[in-house]
Amino acid sequence: MTGFLDLYSEKDTFLHRLDPRVKLLAVALISVLAFILAELLYLVVLLCFILLLLVLARSSYGKAFFALKFVIRFMILITLLWPLFDRSGTPILFSIGPLDITEPAVWRGATSAVRVGCFATVWYILMFTTSQRDLVRALVKLGLRFDYGLALAISFRFIPTFGLTIESIKDAQRARALELDRGSILRRSRNYVSILVPTIVYALRTADTLALTLQSRAYGAFSNRTYLREIRMRASDYVALTVVVLILLLPAMAKYICGVRI
Amino acid sequence: MQALTLKDVRFRYPGMSEWALDIPSLEIRQGEFVTVLGPNGAGKTTLSLLANGLVPKSIKGEFEGSVEVFEHPVPKYTVSQLSTLVGMVFQEPESQLFCMSAEEEVAFGPENLAVPRDEISRRVEWALDLVGLKGLNDRSPFTLSGGQKQRLAIAAALSMKPSMLVLDEPAYALDPMGRIELYSILSDLKAKHGMTVIVMERDAEDLVEYSDRFVLMANGRVTASGPPREMLMDPGALRTAGVSPPQMAEVASLINLRRKAPPLRFLTVDEAFAEITINTHHHSKGESH
Amino acid sequence: MIPRPDADSEDRVIFLRDAKFTYESGVEALKGVTLVIDKGEYLAVVGGNGSGKTTLAKHLNGLLRPTGGQVLVMGVQASTRTVAELARVVGYAFQNPDHQLFCRTVHDEVSFGPANIGLDGPEVKRRTDRAIAIMSLSDIRDRPPLSLTLGLRRRVSIASVIAMEPQVLVLDEPTTGLDAREADELMSIIRMLNDEGTTIVLITHEMKLVAEHANRVVVMMDGKVVLDSDTRGAFSDLGLLRRSKLLPPPVTQLAHRLSQIGVSKDILTPQELVFELTRGDDQ
Repeated sequence: MTGFLDLYSEKDTFLHRLDPRVKLLAVALISVLAFILAELLYLVVLLCFILLLLVLARSSYGKAFFALKFVIRFMILITLLWPLFDRSGTPILFSIGPLDITEPAVWRGATSAVRVGCFATVWYILMFTTSQRDLVRALVKLGLRFDYGLALAISFRFIPTFGLTIESIKDAQRARALELDRGSILRRSRNYVSILVPTIVYALRTADTLALTLQSRAYGAFSNRTYLREIRMRASDYVALTVVVLILLLPAMAKYICGVRI
Repeated sequence: MQALTLKDVRFRYPGMSEWALDIPSLEIRQGEFVTVLGPNGAGKTTLSLLANGLVPKSIKGEFEGSVEVFEHPVPKYTVSQLSTLVGMVFQEPESQLFCMSAEEEVAFGPENLAVPRDEISRRVEWALDLVGLKGLNDRSPFTLSGGQKQRLAIAAALSMKPSMLVLDEPAYALDPMGRIELYSILSDLKAKHGMTVIVMERDAEDLVEYSDRFVLMANGRVTASGPPREMLMDPGALRTAGVSPPQMAEVASLINLRRKAPPLRFLTVDEAFAEITINTHHHSKGESH
Repeated sequence: MIPRPDADSEDRVIFLRDAKFTYESGVEALKGVTLVIDKGEYLAVVGGNGSGKTTLAKHLNGLLRPTGGQVLVMGVQASTRTVAELARVVGYAFQNPDHQLFCRTVHDEVSFGPANIGLDGPEVKRRTDRAIAIMSLSDIRDRPPLSLTLGLRRRVSIASVIAMEPQVLVLDEPTTGLDAREADELMSIIRMLNDEGTTIVLITHEMKLVAEHANRVVVMMDGKVVLDSDTRGAFSDLGLLRRSKLLPPPVTQLAHRLSQIGVSKDILTPQELVFELTRGDDQ
């Protein structure tokens, strides 16, 4: 259960080795690109490129399937629902009662779906290939305050712990004949209180110890804190960075400077 | 030198009428392994938090008296500054490990102290090795066993190079094997590195062999203090104090009740075996004459 | 494993037949466990971390369902009953009381279970009062459970389980964190419950506790039962206990070393050892 909360799996691929800052930037730029591109064809090309990256990331089938299942469902939903709300343009393909389904709306639906697919998949690739700690390091390196980085890292770290604790609390209450999903609404909300209160108590106790621990480990002692692991850009990172910037810049220039419809 | 000196110390939590701690005098020598023994609510945790100033700086209340660690008056320093003198380990293994790898956990203290990177790297290897976690640098603390977690917490304190470790019931959630590993590591730290070790415990059994001295606490006061053989040979008194006696002390006292010979005074299985076999040997010799 | 001739008797409250359990992660936690628990037994299930003892315990009230084999509770297939139904028969007190406590008063906390199993008002009250009395909580019945000491919180959490008046009470490491006095108080109440007929299943790694209280010991290792015997029998095989990552109490270790001068190996308490050692002197 907790396995899927951390999507990262340790592998030795080009994408894994890439500096996390470059990866963050790449993901941001590709997301921007997905919004710049307006033509379905080019978006499909972009999606294919992203799927190629997914293959190159050698993610475990279980995790990739878990992620893609979510993305594909979302894409289908958008494709189906879009024409119901967007009824502009002609020709009308067919009508369901008062609803006119138009051809441009269907295309726009598909375009949006692919766009969202690009956007979501690329973030998943980031999570697949970058450990949470590298992500936090990259954010701190890019200027996030260390305290916030630490807070983020602590939340990542405690997600599985909390998951297990909540499971245990549920079991403990079920052993007292609690049935979470039975009874009236009032009864059900009271049922959830029996999970919520012990969870909050646990969180507060953990936070107390955590506060004492941080102080005992000299947290905030000096402003010029050092770091055991520094992330350093290598030649290959600069190459990747250049490629990524070009991938965004070329289509953007084509569209906004040369006026090409893409 | 004294590692820890308490003089006329009193501490009261806000809104309470009773003193949580009331200790006229307590001294712990450098390099000593001291077990503070007492039932729940005796004030062990509060005492442990005095050592680096968390009480009364973080956990507020009415405080009087003086606390010194290695001749440094605790109130004059911040908790962070004292981290290079006093390492703290708490009860709950899970909630004192907050990093995503063992290595980061151990590096966190020295990083805050702005120690140069090469030196941090050396300290990380050194500390992980001392606690028997060599090679687990990249493991997430979440995936470690309870015993490994507590040892990692010790390593995370050791990397700041303190001269004293204060541990508040570190074996609380551990299984018997985990407890034995933990305490033998602490014993090694004392023997090989001259570390001063103060352990708060409810049960004397696991620490009989390792402790130079036992300090007995009840209701916020120190009621007795002395070497194991002085402190633990009277099971009745220990029970009255709310502490379970070591089994070997019980065996010795039960035998002593039934014999007129000089009392047996063993505390460990090895000692008991030696004394009992010698005694039966004499006994059977006596019969053959 | 010792074959049990009374395996078909009506006193049988729990019957695991070749129960297997594999977690979703693929970890095989139970690799075929057959276990019969009779009414009124005081059974200890012992083993190191990861031996499968907690997984086994969670099968007794249906929190986990076997992925192979069967679990019968009072002769009925557990798989046909919900956890809430099984909770009337098998009470399970978790190690950490703070995973349970959420009510404003001890009284409310203890009545939570009986109310959940759909009893009427007077019966809920009767059972709540009885459980509060058994666990000696009458003086603090109106106090908030979370403000109590750990020793009392543990007692409240056990009271909230026995208020459903189960025939079997599973206790997971009930003495963790308790001091000597609190542990003694709790264990003597448990002893009394057992004397009155409640079957006790103690899940623990504290062998001192087992020696003092249990009548029968099931040693688990690597998802299997490696020993099922009366308590004395279990303490006479130190090698097996050590392999199972269990630590025999000092008095057992001493008895084994003294076996060369004729001390029996199945000593459980200091009193027994001293009795054996000094028997000759009295004559």
